[in-house]
Amino acid sequence: MPGDRGGTPQEDGADASAQRHDGLLAVRAGEGDEEAFEELMRRHAPALLRLATRLLGSRTEAEDAVQESFVSAWRKLPEFRRDARFSTWIHRIVTNRCLNVLRSRRPSVDLEGVPEPQAPEHEASPSRVAESHAAVADLSRAMAGLSPEQRVCWVLRELNGLAYETIAESVGISPEAVRGRVFRARRYLTEAMAAWR
Amino acid sequence: MAVNEGTGPGEGYGAVGGGDAALDRAEREPLPCGRELWSVWERHETGEPDPHSDGCPHCTEALTSLRRLEDVVSTARDAEPAEAEPDASALVGRVMDVVRLELRPGRTLPLGEDDEDAWIVEAAAARVVRAAAETLPGVRAGSCRIEGVPGQGPGAASGQAVPRGPVVIRLAVEVALTWGLQEVADRVRRRVLEAAESELGMRVVAVDVTIADIIDEREERP
Repeated sequence: MPGDRGGTPQEDGADASAQRHDGLLAVRAGEGDEEAFEELMRRHAPALLRLATRLLGSRTEAEDAVQESFVSAWRKLPEFRRDARFSTWIHRIVTNRCLNVLRSRRPSVDLEGVPEPQAPEHEASPSRVAESHAAVADLSRAMAGLSPEQRVCWVLRELNGLAYETIAESVGISPEAVRGRVFRARRYLTEAMAAWR
Repeated sequence: MAVNEGTGPGEGYGAVGGGDAALDRAEREPLPCGRELWSVWERHETGEPDPHSDGCPHCTEALTSLRRLEDVVSTARDAEPAEAEPDASALVGRVMDVVRLELRPGRTLPLGEDDEDAWIVEAAAARVVRAAAETLPGVRAGSCRIEGVPGQGPGAASGQAVPRGPVVIRLAVEVALTWGLQEVADRVRRRVLEAAESELGMRVVAVDVTIADIIDEREERP
């Protein structure tokens, strides 16, 4: 199921027309049509919010990051090139914003001090919930030890299911560098989680 | 060194899956069997069969720890809040509050006769022009620029006032496949002229219509 994992640029053919409509709206927004910009936000904000929440591990910080990204997009839209894809462009802005937020966080020297993630709100069978909670808690704790660069590449790869080439485009580094970061993240996470078991 | 089916150093396992990962020497430290951890994992990821790994205890251990991580990741993904589309309406509202403080109204355009003192900003006039074009079925309006007649007076940049006098409207539209291009261009021009006159009271000498794209409605969403 394409798009099921919250991926960015969807590959389905049905999206060709959505992309073109994005292009039209982006041109209008660039010329000062704020209603076109509002529609662009409505189309993209949910996926961007999900992406930022995964990158930052916090819905509140994710809201701030996406909000600031859209404000910056409104200011930069007059220079937006028609041949670029709005979706790719705005995903890149949000990804970079999140990367900067992660970089500005104080390094968590003490992993034990990382707060437990909040329990998901939906209900399931008790044993499944317990198992999920333990897994999510372990993983979140381990993820806090990743460098911002590793975390971003790993989340885009493992949680959003993006191709290495797509991540490279989004982060602005080579696909080889993305592979290296994802590998380091996986190695760190397997070692961290093995040590706690 | 354990050598299986011709595996030796420098035989380029790094090339698997298209492109070497950017790793330094320490990260390429081989497993006791001679394989590099990253190439074992990459083969697993690309699904390429690897007879060596199947029988090698070191590779098996490396793959087991990766699969354990994959299981946890998939459980964590399933444990995310089930809402498929997070509600972003509050966020959109907050951004629009900022946007309305930073509007880009464009040029200031004259309305009415030369001796009058009525004006409208380009963004507002463009809204009326686009809406007029979109009253035709299968027409979507894109870029809309309104400026003074070229060669008559100084050109006005965004934020400046166009000298009093008639204006030129340049409008880009996307149209459905079913339209004849000349016909749709003519009809868009007429609708825009009518709206400029009746809704805005703007004197227009020319409406340049550009067909920017053809919309194939079969690929449109219902």
